[in-house]
Amino acid sequence: MDLIRKKRAEAVNRIISKGYLSTKRVYVGMATCEIAAGSKEVMAVFQDAIAKGLTDVYLSQKGCAGRCNLEPTVEVVEEGKIPVKYGLVTPERAREIIERHLKKGEVIQEWVI
Amino acid sequence: MSRLITITINDKPYQVEPNQTIMQAADKLGFHIPRLCYHPKLSIEGACRVCIVEVEGMKNYVASCAFPVSDGMKIRTNTQALRTARRDIIELILDNHPQDCHTCERDGNCELQRLAASMGIRARHFEGERKRYEKDLSSEAVIRDPEKCILCGRCVRMCSEIQQVHNLTQAHRGFHTVVMPAYNMPMGESVCTACGQCINVCPTAAFLEKNYTQELFEKLNDPNLVKVVQFAPSVRAAIGEAFGLEPGLNMEGQLIASLRKLGFDYVFDTQFAADLTIMEEASEFLERLQSGGVLPMITSCSSAWMKCLEQFYPDLIPNVSTCKSPMSMQGAVTKTYFAKKKKIDPRKILSVAVMCCTAKKYEAARPELMFDGMRGVDIVVTTREAAWMIKSAGIDLVNIQPEEPDHPLGISSGAGAIFGATGGVMEAAIRTAYELYTGETLVDIEVEAVRGLKGIKEGSIVMDGKEIRVAVAHGLGNACRLLERVRQDPSRYHFIEIMGCPGGCVGGGGQPYAQINSIPLDDENLRKRAQALYDLDKAKTIRRSHDNPDVQKLYKEFLQSPLSPVSHQYLHTHYKAKTPVGIIPRNERTLSGDSK
Amino acid sequence: MADKQYKLTFCDGSGCLKNHAREFRQLFEEELRRHQIQQNVQIHLSGCLGMCTKGPILIVNPGYILYGNLRSEDAPEIVQEHLINGKPVSRLIIQEDHLYNRFFRIFGDSEFFGRQMRIALRNCGVIDPEKIDDYLAMRGYEALAKVLTEMTPQQVIEEVKKSGLRGRGGAGFPTGLKWEYTAKQSDPEKYVICNADEGDPGAFMDRSAIEGDPHTVLEGMIIGGYAIGSRQGIIYIRAEYPLAVQRLKKAIEDARREGFLGERILGTDFSFDIRICLGAGAFVCGEETALIHSIEGARGMPRPRPPYPSVSGLFGKPTLINNVETWANIPVIIIDGADWFSRIGTATSKGTKVFALAGKVRNTGLVEVPMGTTLRDIIFGIGGGIPNGKKFKAVQTGGPSGGCLPEKYLDTQIDYESLAKAGSIMGSGGMIVIDEDSCMVRMARFFVEFTQDESCGKCTPCREGTKRMLEILTRITRGQGKPGDIEKLERLGTMIQKASLCGLGQSAPNPVLSTIRNFREEYEEHIHQKKCRAHECTALLSFVVQDNCVGCGACKRVCPVNAVSGNRKEKHSINPNLCIKCGQCYDACKFNAIAKV
Repeated sequence: MDLIRKKRAEAVNRIISKGYLSTKRVYVGMATCEIAAGSKEVMAVFQDAIAKGLTDVYLSQKGCAGRCNLEPTVEVVEEGKIPVKYGLVTPERAREIIERHLKKGEVIQEWVI
Repeated sequence: MSRLITITINDKPYQVEPNQTIMQAADKLGFHIPRLCYHPKLSIEGACRVCIVEVEGMKNYVASCAFPVSDGMKIRTNTQALRTARRDIIELILDNHPQDCHTCERDGNCELQRLAASMGIRARHFEGERKRYEKDLSSEAVIRDPEKCILCGRCVRMCSEIQQVHNLTQAHRGFHTVVMPAYNMPMGESVCTACGQCINVCPTAAFLEKNYTQELFEKLNDPNLVKVVQFAPSVRAAIGEAFGLEPGLNMEGQLIASLRKLGFDYVFDTQFAADLTIMEEASEFLERLQSGGVLPMITSCSSAWMKCLEQFYPDLIPNVSTCKSPMSMQGAVTKTYFAKKKKIDPRKILSVAVMCCTAKKYEAARPELMFDGMRGVDIVVTTREAAWMIKSAGIDLVNIQPEEPDHPLGISSGAGAIFGATGGVMEAAIRTAYELYTGETLVDIEVEAVRGLKGIKEGSIVMDGKEIRVAVAHGLGNACRLLERVRQDPSRYHFIEIMGCPGGCVGGGGQPYAQINSIPLDDENLRKRAQALYDLDKAKTIRRSHDNPDVQKLYKEFLQSPLSPVSHQYLHTHYKAKTPVGIIPRNERTLSGDSK
Repeated sequence: MADKQYKLTFCDGSGCLKNHAREFRQLFEEELRRHQIQQNVQIHLSGCLGMCTKGPILIVNPGYILYGNLRSEDAPEIVQEHLINGKPVSRLIIQEDHLYNRFFRIFGDSEFFGRQMRIALRNCGVIDPEKIDDYLAMRGYEALAKVLTEMTPQQVIEEVKKSGLRGRGGAGFPTGLKWEYTAKQSDPEKYVICNADEGDPGAFMDRSAIEGDPHTVLEGMIIGGYAIGSRQGIIYIRAEYPLAVQRLKKAIEDARREGFLGERILGTDFSFDIRICLGAGAFVCGEETALIHSIEGARGMPRPRPPYPSVSGLFGKPTLINNVETWANIPVIIIDGADWFSRIGTATSKGTKVFALAGKVRNTGLVEVPMGTTLRDIIFGIGGGIPNGKKFKAVQTGGPSGGCLPEKYLDTQIDYESLAKAGSIMGSGGMIVIDEDSCMVRMARFFVEFTQDESCGKCTPCREGTKRMLEILTRITRGQGKPGDIEKLERLGTMIQKASLCGLGQSAPNPVLSTIRNFREEYEEHIHQKKCRAHECTALLSFVVQDNCVGCGACKRVCPVNAVSGNRKEKHSINPNLCIKCGQCYDACKFNAIAKV
């Protein structure tokens, strides 16, 4: 049992070391239904932005979020704030989200589920 | 003896043994539950759903061929709901089946026909589209008619489980399910060994032998031909069944008379050639034994077995005897020795063989067996075809006066007669080999060790202090098992007999269909047919092949001696590996069975 | 919603309601109004959160503060201290570390997720499925560690039995019992199989479960292997799920690397490995004996049972075969306990079930709800009701093996028995909502066409019977129905149900028989009046130009057979003898002047 606790601690450490505790965590849904709706392009937009210097953001993928008619979905989670889930995210909207939400902290209401 | 349990069938209690299916228990008690796909020698399929019964506590109907009995089980076999369901199931089969009973080969002896009659199907409720397939006439021996197939799966199981050839399987799904060789190869190009067991177990006319009766009737009416016929040992032991007689009656004399009435000029006996084969083969064996030739030697009279060997065991080709089968030897000496003797142009001879075997049709067409530009046997008809021809010509085989075969290729020894039963070739060979080798008379010439229906039989005989170990296998599945033993340990046996059909030639693919109250390949039937041959052997005065005077004359006048150049030219042949589509050569297979 | 400073979730499940949760909430709302902060706060109600012994429950986000054991006097304190002063009330915070609760961390839209209880899908949409670290952080493989170090195989089986978990593949056989039968066999060589050959058209529960959280399936299987004494697990997954296969492969590699698969797992004597076997495009291979034959390399055809796979299965050895969702539940049962699990659901069906809600409903997707939730709750509550103002007609559950339930069954509490009694089945979880614009006869025909296509062809009733049913249904939808057709369908259907060899055949007539039972008038209209009230069967349709036609000629231009006539600015008309019912005119008209009659 100790072994598993140790493993868990190690895993959590690894995650944190990758920037989990940074202010913003962005999750893009990447199951088959989401990919079919275009989430790979959306993910690319975020990856691109990070490569170009967007800091303080931990980007990860997640599995099927269950909201099949509102895909692709992107979630932004910040400590101390209510998690925000965007639906029907296109690459253009993704860029908007980066500009307005991630950089300026504005939640774009119309796109929120 | 396990404790008996109580089950109730149709409200009456019965004491039965545990560990059996409902159908088995019911059969023993005299309730014959209708069935189609079930066969006691094959695995349980549960496909036709005709044998369904009601078991209290089960929501749905249960297949009685598969469901085991248990203490206290309450079964109903004949409720109104069941009868309707069974009737509907049979009607569904009929709705997807050609409506040509009158012109079908199995008219009068078709399991589907019998079931339909017993269900009392008068109106058709569910008619619709009917499946359409081309008949597969590509094989010399076995033809397929998928439109008549009811998908009972018996042929698939027979070909896979008992013969282990695995040629047939169901393919596709739903309405388009069809039984076919792999990749829908024509049968003639597939690994099919032409053994014809699929025909034996098929309840309808989906599998049939290739029919030559029309062609034969035409040729019988041709005055320019000299019509010569031979017939196998197993034919005389079984043809009576096609006329409604008990299995196991030897109809040799009546058959000869009928064939003469049919129009044949000369009626010879394949048993004569069987003696000839023993002369050649025993000599070949002794030569290998004494000069360090390849052992074990394997017999080669079974043509289905030969195709199986060439396809799956080409590495064992050197082990096989180079002798032709009795039928082919008979054909050869007919068109040479006999033709010369009677001063007939061999090209004017119509050489016909009545065989218990479908593979012989394939054999007769093999190019390697030709000599002087001619085929040894021109037409092969099965026991069934011959029976039909005799009936069609109005000849009363049952009551006709028996007659004798013609000389010089007609008389035979008892050793030749037992060729039809599994172990018979081995026994005949031992009788001659022993005496040729030791110079002494073999007193116990009935070799019990190689008789009977056990799949693989072993025996040994001491000849001049040397122990000769022999083995006998019948059915291609047993043959394959035996050959694996040979591959593991080539010194285990000296001499092996293999017959491609279960029971030996008496169970061949061309034998009469099972009677109404019997099942195909019933063991009792096979035993009775074999017994007829063993009785025939006992009744003969000459019981050893080398004592056959006409055979001796044949050597003196034509062949000179066994294994002479003349013998080699006409009575021996060669084999080579064949790889139809789907066979992966052995050296390219990996452990998991995939190809590299 | 983000204008709100706080989001409050009150548990509205039956357990909390018994503990006066509603009164607490009303008091709380009064407090909010008293302090005039009700605009700052968004209130959601959720279904049972699974903490019934500590109810009423209130979750405050952001921060996922979990309050429990609340009494009326606590409401003012929470409002004052936490919501206004920003300091959570620590004495009321409870520790509940249920495996499944993590989902609410990303509580995004409670309309959809509020009433759900995601146990099997607890990590889907939460973690990165390709990172074993995420799974470990969510207490992954803790159940395995507990089982291997603190429990005997017999204890594991007892726990699964006590939980009341039933097979989620559709048949609903008690899982613990199946494990017990397989464990009892004395053969040392046994197999564990995961049935991921999700063949139901439109079903994607298993796919999402594997794509979102492959490790939970692995963990469940390893625990299963330990319980029955097996060393080898096989996941049979359909080849049409390439992403799921890829994620599964990665998960297996990662698990092996971390020592959760292979020799001497976690340092114990237990060794277990899993390999993947791809399906080849046959729905029938979801049937357990056909699946086993497929793994063996033979044709995927079922065989009669007995013997059952637990006695003689893969290669003749005792085999334990369960569905993906069943396996996904196992780690939760081990960590959170069988007692807790068995308190969710109804008397006969414990736990939750994942449904793939699809069709004419506003919110489609995967919903996981406790057994006992009503159909109405799912369709109108979580699903958001029928869009475009249409009327609900029926809900189809269980895929091609299930039946169609009309409005009168909407208040059925979902569990295995109640759905069967209503004339359908639970199946693997497909739930398709049908509105007034769908023709029930065409729906039945669609499912029979599917089963006839997929029938393995072995047994006569299924192979031939479904073909004949399909022919009759096709005739009916083409306007060639004859009197007596319905009776023929019923006769054939009942026979096929009772006489077929395997579940595919036995359930193939269900859509037909249930639609006949519940919507017989539609069949009769098709046959006798040649009318399709949903206007879907094109052969029974007429296209008629209405009076509001302005004569623009758009329909005339698109008609492929020149069946439309009329002058400009005058009402056009369609010649019914020429009309081939392609519907182009209907689509082209911008004034909705063409009606389907």
